[in-house]
Amino acid sequence: MQIEKVLGRKEKKALEELLEKNYGCRIALQDYNIFMTAEEKIWLASPSINFSIFDVLKRCYRIGIYFGKLKRNNKIKLSIEGAMIVGKKARKNVVVINKEEAKKFMQGYDVVPDELIEAEMHNFVIVKCGDDIMGTGILRDGYVENLIPKARRMVKM
Amino acid sequence: MIPDADAFMKAEQEWKSIRVNTLKIEKEALMERLQGRYEVREMPWYENGLFIKGDDISKNREYYLGYYHIQEAASMLPPLALQPEEEMVLDMCAAPGSKTTQMAMMMENGGIIIANDVNPIRLKALTHNIQRAMATNCIVTNYDGRYMDRIGIKVDKVLLDAPCTASGKIIKDKRLLEKWNYGRIRYMGSLQKALMGAACRMLDEGGVLVYSTCSIEPEENEDVIDYAIHRFNMEVEKVHLKGIKTREGIKEWNGKTYEWASKAIRVWPQDNLTEGFFICRLRKC
Repeated sequence: MQIEKVLGRKEKKALEELLEKNYGCRIALQDYNIFMTAEEKIWLASPSINFSIFDVLKRCYRIGIYFGKLKRNNKIKLSIEGAMIVGKKARKNVVVINKEEAKKFMQGYDVVPDELIEAEMHNFVIVKCGDDIMGTGILRDGYVENLIPKARRMVKM
Repeated sequence: MIPDADAFMKAEQEWKSIRVNTLKIEKEALMERLQGRYEVREMPWYENGLFIKGDDISKNREYYLGYYHIQEAASMLPPLALQPEEEMVLDMCAAPGSKTTQMAMMMENGGIIIANDVNPIRLKALTHNIQRAMATNCIVTNYDGRYMDRIGIKVDKVLLDAPCTASGKIIKDKRLLEKWNYGRIRYMGSLQKALMGAACRMLDEGGVLVYSTCSIEPEENEDVIDYAIHRFNMEVEKVHLKGIKTREGIKEWNGKTYEWASKAIRVWPQDNLTEGFFICRLRKC
């Protein structure tokens, strides 16, 4: 795993502001170690991980968890876990689906939302069912495009 | 060697076991969600373990969300014997990551877990499970454990859940008996000793190592511990586990005596209807 940049205080603040702009909530990221890899992928690790360890751990495959990927126009595509961290407080770009649609969503299908919470068309949205954060999608005309990675989909439910 | 050999052969599991991922949900909340659709009961030896009966436990919303991990009941024991806290822990043969994510949970994502595995294909399962569990304190590495001490770092604790012949899994697959092969046991024994050597060298003085396998063969268990005691100045500490029937390690085998064996534990399939396991806790003097 090639770390391109470890985010400092200012950069973490900029990321917090980006999340606030996209999802309408303030998420405290200062307590995490955050870093970026190729293609502007963002990763989250515990503050107890000291990056100097990587001077000796050369065959490092992964650190912490994948949070999301920065996209053009100040957008961010969140992973399922990223959506879980942000989604609890999100007030914007959230879509709510019902139980039947949630089942389809977990299988990787596009779904029809029941409710839109300040959701912009053709933007990344956090998908919720009740209190559960199901992941992310892109709001299209009348449906939500599924962005669940294949490895996380449930087949034959 | 096998106590109650008849019962050992006949033992079968009715219940599956899961571990609540407390990094994402409280146990009570998960139980409430599962009850009704499944029969659920608490595991006597681990507060976050549950027994569950029902179909397709890997095809529901709670599983998708990473609220629980399907994990063999006895395999939850080695992290309990290690008791990791906010420190540097090495999980030397970590894939697919059940025990790694259990330790991350016990450490509440504090400290550091170096989750290592030699097999690049199995690393995918390991990283997948770490991501699902939201275990942010894990660093996944890809070293051959036998030579891992060469990287030059010291750790506070090591979990060495070594690759083994898996003869303790007989409760799940009786065909394992047909595959029993002494050559493979001997091969595993030498591999386990090489891993043990590197693990002992990586431990800080006073550090703790838990060695476990799901094999019942003394060559893969007591013999490996004996090697660590005599070659690396390790001392066996008594493992205390509540709520599960355990037996002592084997004290004599193939002309060798293991005086310390009363401090190690063996979990036999017929005693708790789990897989068979060997667990031993050692401290570096």
